[in-house]
Amino acid sequence: MSDVPAPPAPTTPPAAPPAGSARLITAACALGLLGIGFSLAHFIRPSPLLFALFMIVGQGSFGLALLFYVIAIFTDLRRKKVL
Amino acid sequence: MSHEGLFSGGTENVMRWVSGAGIVLGLAAAGILIVVLARKPEWRGSAPAKWALLVGLLVLPGMTMLSGNVVGFHKVKNSCTQCHTMDPWVQDMKDPKSTTLVSKHYQNRWIPDDQCYTCHTGYGLAGNIQAKIGGLGHVTHEYLTGVPDVIKIHRPFNVDTCLHCHGESVKYLKIDQHVDAEMKPKILSGELSCFECHASPHPRKKP
Repeated sequence: MSDVPAPPAPTTPPAAPPAGSARLITAACALGLLGIGFSLAHFIRPSPLLFALFMIVGQGSFGLALLFYVIAIFTDLRRKKVL
Repeated sequence: MSHEGLFSGGTENVMRWVSGAGIVLGLAAAGILIVVLARKPEWRGSAPAKWALLVGLLVLPGMTMLSGNVVGFHKVKNSCTQCHTMDPWVQDMKDPKSTTLVSKHYQNRWIPDDQCYTCHTGYGLAGNIQAKIGGLGHVTHEYLTGVPDVIKIHRPFNVDTCLHCHGESVKYLKIDQHVDAEMKPKILSGELSCFECHASPHPRKKP
């Protein structure tokens, strides 16, 4: 018997997340940026119109972004059979 | 730029600080989101991306939105005078020669700030929410559907608004009609409007 070390066990690369999850995250980021954009506009130049847009469009897109983010996480957890 | 600290000065100073915090948090969140978007699409679905998004999409924007609501709900209280539609009424309110109830309340500083909002908003949380929804309708009229030719109050003026300050005051109780056994319940229930006897708060016709 020789003392030659055994070759390392072949490692499998981490499974890439499904395209659907990545797409959801991309959409969440874009919607989040839109919401933040309306927030910043409302902070920098407060007016009734910008406040209304912030309330409806800004917070609406932010809420949708959060929803997408949560769906992406749940999808991943189910894929990994955690849930 | 204000040189006052967060807890010194008036509400306006606090609002400046909240606005500043909102801008900084919003920019930080936007930075994280842009970094996530700049990476490869495969990375966006990875665990590190999701941890970054926990901060960039949940914590920081959540605080930004909260700041936006605090500042916005404060600022809109005195936004009634920003639309030209209301100019005639605002001019009457600020006219030292006017004798309308609104003008007297303004000239004598009986209501020191946010005069429109104070009288046209019901008290309590429900009143605030109702006022915001109503304000949204006003913004829609101003920018989208057009302002009606004749502007009327949406619903009968709530007598509680007057009684909140005047009711039970010595001057109020000195008036026989206010404490009359027959009239008092009608006044308190809103069946009898203050303006049945007192002059209209605003000019009857467009000033």
